[in-house]
Amino acid sequence: MTAPIEAEGLVRRFGDLVAVDGVDLEVQPAEVFGFLGPNGAGKSTTVRMLTTLLKPTAGRARVAGFDVVREAGRVRRAIGVALQDAAIDPLMTGTELLRLQAVLHGIPRRHADRRGAELLERVGLTAAADRRVGTYSGGMRRRLDLALSLVHEPEVLFLDEPTTGLDPMSRVALWEEVRALNQERGTTVLLTTQYLEEADQLAGRIAIIDYGRIVRQGEPRALKSEVGAPTLLLAVDEAHHAAAVAALAGFGEERPAGPGEVAIGLEGGAARVPDAVRALDAAGISVNHMELNQPSLDDVFAEATGRRLEGAEEPAGGGGTPAATGG
Amino acid sequence: MTAARTAFDHGVAGRPLAVAAALAWRNLVGIRRVPATFVPAVVMPVFFLIAFSGQYRGIVEIPGFATDNVLSWYTPMAVLMGASFAGVGTAFSVARDLETGFFDRLLLSPAARGAIMCGSLLAGAARGLITFALVTAVGLAGGAAVPGGVPGLVSLLIAALGVATVAGLWALGLVYRIKSQSAGPVVQVGIFVGLFLTTAQAPLEVITGWLHPVARLNPVSQILELARQGFLEGVAWSSTWPGLAAIGGLAAVMLVFAVRGMRTLTP
Repeated sequence: MTAPIEAEGLVRRFGDLVAVDGVDLEVQPAEVFGFLGPNGAGKSTTVRMLTTLLKPTAGRARVAGFDVVREAGRVRRAIGVALQDAAIDPLMTGTELLRLQAVLHGIPRRHADRRGAELLERVGLTAAADRRVGTYSGGMRRRLDLALSLVHEPEVLFLDEPTTGLDPMSRVALWEEVRALNQERGTTVLLTTQYLEEADQLAGRIAIIDYGRIVRQGEPRALKSEVGAPTLLLAVDEAHHAAAVAALAGFGEERPAGPGEVAIGLEGGAARVPDAVRALDAAGISVNHMELNQPSLDDVFAEATGRRLEGAEEPAGGGGTPAATGG
Repeated sequence: MTAARTAFDHGVAGRPLAVAAALAWRNLVGIRRVPATFVPAVVMPVFFLIAFSGQYRGIVEIPGFATDNVLSWYTPMAVLMGASFAGVGTAFSVARDLETGFFDRLLLSPAARGAIMCGSLLAGAARGLITFALVTAVGLAGGAAVPGGVPGLVSLLIAALGVATVAGLWALGLVYRIKSQSAGPVVQVGIFVGLFLTTAQAPLEVITGWLHPVARLNPVSQILELARQGFLEGVAWSSTWPGLAAIGGLAAVMLVFAVRGMRTLTP
């Protein structure tokens, strides 16, 4: 069986700017695939090419077995897409938009109304079905957008940053919906996100994209284990920064960190935290905060790109283990 | 090969007529819910009708005018102006959809691109029908005479729908290329040049200087004759077919312009 999404050497240039620079992808049937990267990395441009909205400058891609350029119409029949900015007419009601979407996909009215009602119930919008979308909250719009993308029961679903701007509860609700879709119907999902937690929670495999190139690809757990040692992260005064780096030089390799922070891959893990604390104390360094983090996707990103993912968010209570606070 | 079958895959994309009707319906629902988006398209031609017929009341006394009723002279022109605004208005709705991203939803569907464009044109025609009814009613209430009777009104309606379509295609062609409402000034310049460098204000026999050959060659003059004939005298085939041919010719040229514009939106 051909993979539902295949891309080979996909390139997109806008004048001199290379937005996507030779992306290779292969997403397996019934897989949730996470496409992770910072803003402007090329995630959305890749999705726009895979969903036929943008012509690749070079390379080729097939979605649901069809070429995205030569068989664009057949691709469109097989995919559902929820783009980054949920573009929903605020003057129409949820029911009206679902009916319109059904007409666009050639679904007869008798099926369309039943399907629309099912989807509204599924995403928890039955009570708001006849309200204008302009009165919906951000989370409700995203859920309606998801319902619209499912009207024709697509084989492949593209979700472009589906939870950006949502509050934590709405985000979790949408995750559950995506999981259910994937598990109940076997829908293949390609999800772009800049949230580490989202990729970790939902995706069976991920690709990390930076400056238009895929820098890492694989299962989150495997990628994290490749990073190796956990990260010891210190917050120190700027005056002590260089001394702290020197004091910890023998404990592991320095890793990218934010301003006012020092990070090292602590060889030997938690057992070596006391030694590290003693070394810092001996050097007379005042530490404002210290934590030991198990390898995260942010570490994977940092290891691959030399910097941290902008706006990176760690799972609440997961990964980060406060080791010490204060000096 | 992965089979792209879904529970609702009936082997067809959205049927073109159903898609066009649904998109036109959406546009009209928008008007009903926010009338302010359409009011100018009706108010402006009525304003022009009142202003021109008041300001140039004596113009019809100049030899060469086929009527001495200034409202009979100006009402068809105002109707066509309203029809052009109607066509342009739907294209501006498309510009808003392009700006907000809603148009991507349409492009991501398997519906035929021609059907999506027809939806806009159908909405423009429906808007044109509304402006035709309202502006004509104002003209008749003010004292415009229609010696051509019902056939004269039908001629005006056909001309109005034709102008709404031609103006809509012109505006869509620009909006598809510029992809925003900033296409507005260019669209309006084209509309005003097309509409006023004609016999809109005076019969060809009365026009002198450089405007005479321009108005004679401008096909919109023929559409004005089609629209006006019932308000000046009876309806005659000799005044009808040139107008129909002008609508057909302009629509064909603008259709090519709009289709090429649409092709810039997707691979």
